Amino acid sequence: MPDGQFTTRRWRIVGHSVRGASHERAGTPNQDAIHWLPASSGDELPLVLALADGHGSAKSFRSETGARLAVETAAAVVRDFLKVQTESLSATKRMAEEWLPGALVRGWQEAVAAHLAAHPLSPDELDPPHASRHANATVALTDSSNSLVAYGTTLLVAAVTESFILYLQLGDGEILNVSAGGEVSKPLPEDARLFANETTSLCSPGAWRDFRVCFQVVSHAPPSLILLSTDGYPNSFLNATGFLKVGSDILAAIRAGGLDAVNENIAAWLTESTRAGSGDDATLGLICAEDAPQRDAHASHTNEDAAGQNRNGAKTGDACDEA
Amino acid sequence: MNMRPGGELATRPLHFIWMADCSGSMAVDGKIQSLNTAIKEAIPNMQTVADENPNAQVLVRAIKFSSGAQWHVSQPTEVADFKWDDLTAEGVTDMGRALSLVAEQLAIPPMTERALPPVLVLISDGQPTDDYASGLKAVMEQPWGRKAVRIAIAIGEDADTEVLQRFIGNPELKPLQANNPESLVKYIKWVSTAVLKSASSPASQTLDSATPGANVPIPVLPESASSSAADDVW
Repeated sequence: MPDGQFTTRRWRIVGHSVRGASHERAGTPNQDAIHWLPASSGDELPLVLALADGHGSAKSFRSETGARLAVETAAAVVRDFLKVQTESLSATKRMAEEWLPGALVRGWQEAVAAHLAAHPLSPDELDPPHASRHANATVALTDSSNSLVAYGTTLLVAAVTESFILYLQLGDGEILNVSAGGEVSKPLPEDARLFANETTSLCSPGAWRDFRVCFQVVSHAPPSLILLSTDGYPNSFLNATGFLKVGSDILAAIRAGGLDAVNENIAAWLTESTRAGSGDDATLGLICAEDAPQRDAHASHTNEDAAGQNRNGAKTGDACDEA
Repeated sequence: MNMRPGGELATRPLHFIWMADCSGSMAVDGKIQSLNTAIKEAIPNMQTVADENPNAQVLVRAIKFSSGAQWHVSQPTEVADFKWDDLTAEGVTDMGRALSLVAEQLAIPPMTERALPPVLVLISDGQPTDDYASGLKAVMEQPWGRKAVRIAIAIGEDADTEVLQRFIGNPELKPLQANNPESLVKYIKWVSTAVLKSASSPASQTLDSATPGANVPIPVLPESASSSAADDVW
């Protein structure tokens, strides 16, 4: 363990998910999901927060369930993984990068298989109104591998331990760090393939290879706030700068009124955003250091100080440590 | 506490571009008049689709090409304000120049990454007379060109369907063959309603770089869109 500073910190998780404005009009459900462990956060480390965005396309007609299974499975798999890690940080990092993505995919696939066994695809679900009403629908949902597509979803996870923070992301959505000084950065590198409605997915062959993973050792100044969101929220802003401002604004709001007051407003903020913005389901989860309100707003050094700068003005990726 | 965090909110732009062949052959048998009528009749349908999804900002433009190419409606225009001035037909078929003009507008910027996939509708009755391949290459070099919904309508049997198929770039989607005014109206209506509605949906698709056009499901044409050969006039 590094200098031990982190062991005294307490963290809390809050978050909400709202149905998209376009989903309300279409009568479709909220296909995002959010889940965290332990349920009463702040009690004990590690904390794990997971978000998922079910695709909602005609082919992924069970993606609401797929997203729920993804967050529940991921939170449990990551927490179990972290609880048994007694090796060095470098060994844990290697396992997190090389073994954990596969474990997350397998866990989700097993959960989907169990759901399918209990709720087989009905003839109505396999009929053209769901499966092939489009001229370029090429996937037949008749075998077990393709039936995963019906549950297709993204997955975003952040986990906080005493000595490091772990981030994993498959597909679109955003993860932000906010430093004690209010500087906003992205711990994970961009994935240029996530463009024009297309996303990597838990249902894709070889999905484990598409995970982006960041292992962030907390040796000096950890982030005060970590934000996870599905893409319906950032897509509601006119530009990337407007979304990044969410990070510093929320940290300021926590300092002004406390995390509970912020939590009471998240659902309303998301609802306003989807109505005036993307129309998509919108989910936001926060992992907040309990001392964030008291921290010096001008703390001098963060892991992000050495990070690169992406085209939208947010630093990305290089916050990950070599351990 | 009710101050919403973050910057300005905005709906997602959806650019819809008509690309109309105005070569001299379009003057024959009333083709250009039929096209003008079909697009005018489609505008209220487009406005209805846009009204049904206020989270997509539908912006319409048009290019005409004959001897050269130019913007017929150059500014991205809110569909509620979109008006169609009749095209006239004269000259040759410089389709490549039209594609190059589109390519310039599909670059980022002026496009943004958060836009919805644009819809490009290419309508032609003949053979390109310029280097269409260069124009198409320019379109496909742009990320939004590759991910655009590309629909082609062939007017009459002299249209070069092979070129239109290359523009579509998806073997599962064929050029729509309009051999009479009625079928042209139906295809234009289908593009401006069903296709527009699908493109304005925020539903995600699994990444599938091997299948062109997989990012936007294309609705199946209604049976009524086809007509019998006995009705053909072009």
